[in-house]
Amino acid sequence: MAQPRVTPKAQEALDEDEQTGKAPDAKLYEELGELARFIDTTMKTLSEFSAPVNASTEQLPQAQTHLLNLKTQTEQGTHRVMLEVEAIQENHVQANKMLKDIAQALQHANVDPALIQQMHALGQTLGQNDKRLLDIMTALSFQDLVAQSVNKLVTILDEVEHRLLQLVVVFGPYQKQAAKTDQSKASEMLKQLEATKNTSMDQDLADEILKQFGFN
Amino acid sequence: MPADPNMKILVVDDMSTMRRIVKNILKQLGFNNLEEAENGQDALTKLHADTYGFVVSDWNMPVMMGIDMLRAIRADEKLKKIPVLMVTAEAQKENLMEAVQAGVSNYVVKPFTAETMQDKINKIFK
Repeated sequence: MAQPRVTPKAQEALDEDEQTGKAPDAKLYEELGELARFIDTTMKTLSEFSAPVNASTEQLPQAQTHLLNLKTQTEQGTHRVMLEVEAIQENHVQANKMLKDIAQALQHANVDPALIQQMHALGQTLGQNDKRLLDIMTALSFQDLVAQSVNKLVTILDEVEHRLLQLVVVFGPYQKQAAKTDQSKASEMLKQLEATKNTSMDQDLADEILKQFGFN
Repeated sequence: MPADPNMKILVVDDMSTMRRIVKNILKQLGFNNLEEAENGQDALTKLHADTYGFVVSDWNMPVMMGIDMLRAIRADEKLKKIPVLMVTAEAQKENLMEAVQAGVSNYVVKPFTAETMQDKINKIFK
């Protein structure tokens, strides 16, 4: 936003007053008028942002919902993979038990030792697969990190929504050339927004604020 | 003293996926008496209701954070000797220091491997 400045004309007048020692009332009055016009223009410009701000505010809850869906979907997918990994781990436990029993039986049956060796090798392969299954299981902890990042994003979006709604409330009455009652309503809305600052935004409150300030 | 494979272990994490992962690893390491809690408060209730030999806890949780649960355990005459292993994504030094000052038995940073978990458990119960 541009900074208010003393117009060259007013500065010239002030300098002249300073040199002549004359009372600067009339010049200052002119300068105040310039400032008022500047502020008025700035406020009008800012109020023009209300429509895009409103659109953004309406989309933010959707973005939050998408993010939370993402968290739920990764959680469900992770549980699905875990279920399969656990089933294979359980099968491996059974297979290892059976291999041991078969190896013992073969030893008593005087079969070719190479065959018994192969049974042991098979058991070792299953053991290596168990290690890989455990690695898959621990790799799934990515879901927890995703969930934490999503939670942080949802918190940020909630904060942005608060701030955007504060802009709507602050500039809403100005844009509507509102009466005192509207400004009082705006003040009340700001208080409610402040009260929800550290909690998740109540969607009803967001909708009410947007409705009050002409956005349906 | 090596870890007793029959001791009751409490796994504390708000994420069901992480509870399942930690329980799976502990099971593969030979521990079968596993219980779970969703946050620090839930864990304290369970710790008071039964006898546990070991707690594996997350740091960031709603209702009661892992660090607050740890402080409550260390301040409780009945629970203060239970070893607590913190599992967390918070790798910052200040958190580690905070956990050590609060009396954590050891600390694992996510993502971790089963070997890391086993190493930390071995160090706690050596």
